[in-house]
Amino acid sequence: MQEEPILKVENLQTYFFTTSGMIKAVDDISFSLWPGETLGIVGESGSGKSMTAWSILGLVPKPAGRIVGGRILYRGENLLEKSASQMREIRGRHICMVMQDPLTSLNPVFTVGDQIIETLKIDSSRTSGGHRERAVELLSSVQIPAPESRMEGFQHQMSGGMRQRVVGAIAISRSPQILIADEPTTSLDATIQLQYLKMLKDIQTQTGAAIIFITHDFGIVARMCDRVAVMYAGKMVEQAQVLQLFDSPAHPYTEALLKSVPDLDVDVDFLPSIEGQPPTLDDLPEGCAFAPRCPYVFEKCEEYPDEFTVEPEHTARCWRLGGAVV
Amino acid sequence: MTTAPPLVRVNAVKKHYPVTKGLILQRTIGQVKAVDGISFEIPEGQTYSLVGESGCGKTTTSRMILMVEPPTEGEVYFEGQSIQNFSGADQKNFRASVQAVFQDPWSSLNPRVKVNSIISEPITAHRRATKQEIKSEVNELLSVVGLHPLHGDRYPHEFSGGQRQRIAIARALSSRPKLIVLDEPVSALDVSIRAQILNLLKGLQKQYNLSFLLIAHNLATVRYMSHKVGVMYLGKIVEEAEPGALFTNPMHPYTKALISASLPAHPRRQREEIVLTGEVPSPLNPPSGCSFHPRCPFVMDICPTQDPDYREAEPGHKVSCHLYT
Repeated sequence: MQEEPILKVENLQTYFFTTSGMIKAVDDISFSLWPGETLGIVGESGSGKSMTAWSILGLVPKPAGRIVGGRILYRGENLLEKSASQMREIRGRHICMVMQDPLTSLNPVFTVGDQIIETLKIDSSRTSGGHRERAVELLSSVQIPAPESRMEGFQHQMSGGMRQRVVGAIAISRSPQILIADEPTTSLDATIQLQYLKMLKDIQTQTGAAIIFITHDFGIVARMCDRVAVMYAGKMVEQAQVLQLFDSPAHPYTEALLKSVPDLDVDVDFLPSIEGQPPTLDDLPEGCAFAPRCPYVFEKCEEYPDEFTVEPEHTARCWRLGGAVV
Repeated sequence: MTTAPPLVRVNAVKKHYPVTKGLILQRTIGQVKAVDGISFEIPEGQTYSLVGESGCGKTTTSRMILMVEPPTEGEVYFEGQSIQNFSGADQKNFRASVQAVFQDPWSSLNPRVKVNSIISEPITAHRRATKQEIKSEVNELLSVVGLHPLHGDRYPHEFSGGQRQRIAIARALSSRPKLIVLDEPVSALDVSIRAQILNLLKGLQKQYNLSFLLIAHNLATVRYMSHKVGVMYLGKIVEEAEPGALFTNPMHPYTKALISASLPAHPRRQREEIVLTGEVPSPLNPPSGCSFHPRCPFVMDICPTQDPDYREAEPGHKVSCHLYT
């Protein structure tokens, strides 16, 4: 790709300072997002994937959480140097978060129209009549039938699929360049989830926005993403194009995780599982955080692994790739 | 092949909840047909799974089998006897023989009770045992589910999600059940932990000859765990088969749609999309004829008027759809 990345995260460190010690929620991660692409950030709870998203949006919970190092470059400008009001301008207009669960992301006491207009009002160049018109336009662009009359409706009068589309309409109301889709761990019904994924793809084709999926589900990555980054215990352990990752995972964690997911298309008698638990962040091992659960562990793993390039656009942090031991 | 009676037999069971209007003179203005005439069997040592979207009646079915709620119509048989007739000692025995493990190990364990007591409670409730016997049995259960006996002295909050689910499983095992209802046992757990718990459950099934009723909406998990799968839609089982047959050769259009909506295991294996129009109708007022007809891509003239029979289209593969009659 020749163009510049739209978002570039460099050595980001988001730490939490608690009475029981310092927690490195996001520790020295770097990645780029290109215009119009879909990037998946995969990890388990506590891996730092959501905190990465919040760091980009400038929403790290204060005062315990702080970004202590690194840069987040949006079109070449460092977001960490922006003031609170500048960040508010960036959220919504440039970078926007879409929640997967429509039940909890709409306000039950305001009409759907009011909630869309609310986001439009931030942009003062339009009259209130103009806002209304634009809101109806947005509703029809996410395929809501009879958008005029739906403007006056409340969320409880709509079905789950329709609410999702309203959330989508709000997300694209100010034509953001980047959409961050954060997915809760408890899953939705498959058909509802598919509708949501398809809506995001539609939005992407319409607006050309880049999407970051924050997920624990490799199925979403396989279905939706162009590239993928795998996080474990606050670190980014592997980055690759989606096919590269599924065909030849380089990090033992990715490899084991992919093998442990049951497959709907074939009969399996036994799933190889990853033994042990994900580490707690206040008690991380010195070197590679996956070492205690890794089947290939050797002495070198006591040191924090370098990032090795496996093939073009495919990197992983594992000493096995350094050629030291086969 | 000897055909022993199945451990559980569900026969034409319905559960209708009345919807009332008015405060004093409560008039019944309708029925929510949560479960509307379903039949299936769970053989000893096997896993029967129910799949379907939220609100299709999976959980209501499991509540009737657990004797939490009586069915409106129909019977549930356990070891050949109708559970509705159980009372006194029979009922107590039955309650020891069926146990449940739920989705969320954060809310299913009492936070103020130590793990030892959580696990020993069903033992003391159902059997006479000395303190020493209880202690050794709890320790054994802990090691059976992959925990250390020392863990018994801790409280639930000291454990991770996967460990908590192990505790819930140990508790379910402690009354020596024959059937365990697994209601979304792994969907709240981290991905790297799920396979551990699924393998543990499979191992326990072999070791103790347990039967499972699995309720899940991840179809891949269901395929891995089950001996037979029933697909539910609006309170009815619309298709039933062994997992291999069901997932490679689905017959009912709803099953096909469910499979097409599930996420692929590899980016090269994208699924053919079957888009369903509309939403799941309300069970308060289900559509006439085949209740799936308003959303079915293959709808025919007969579908809105006549409810299709539930029949065996292929050996061991039952379906309720006019396409196969």
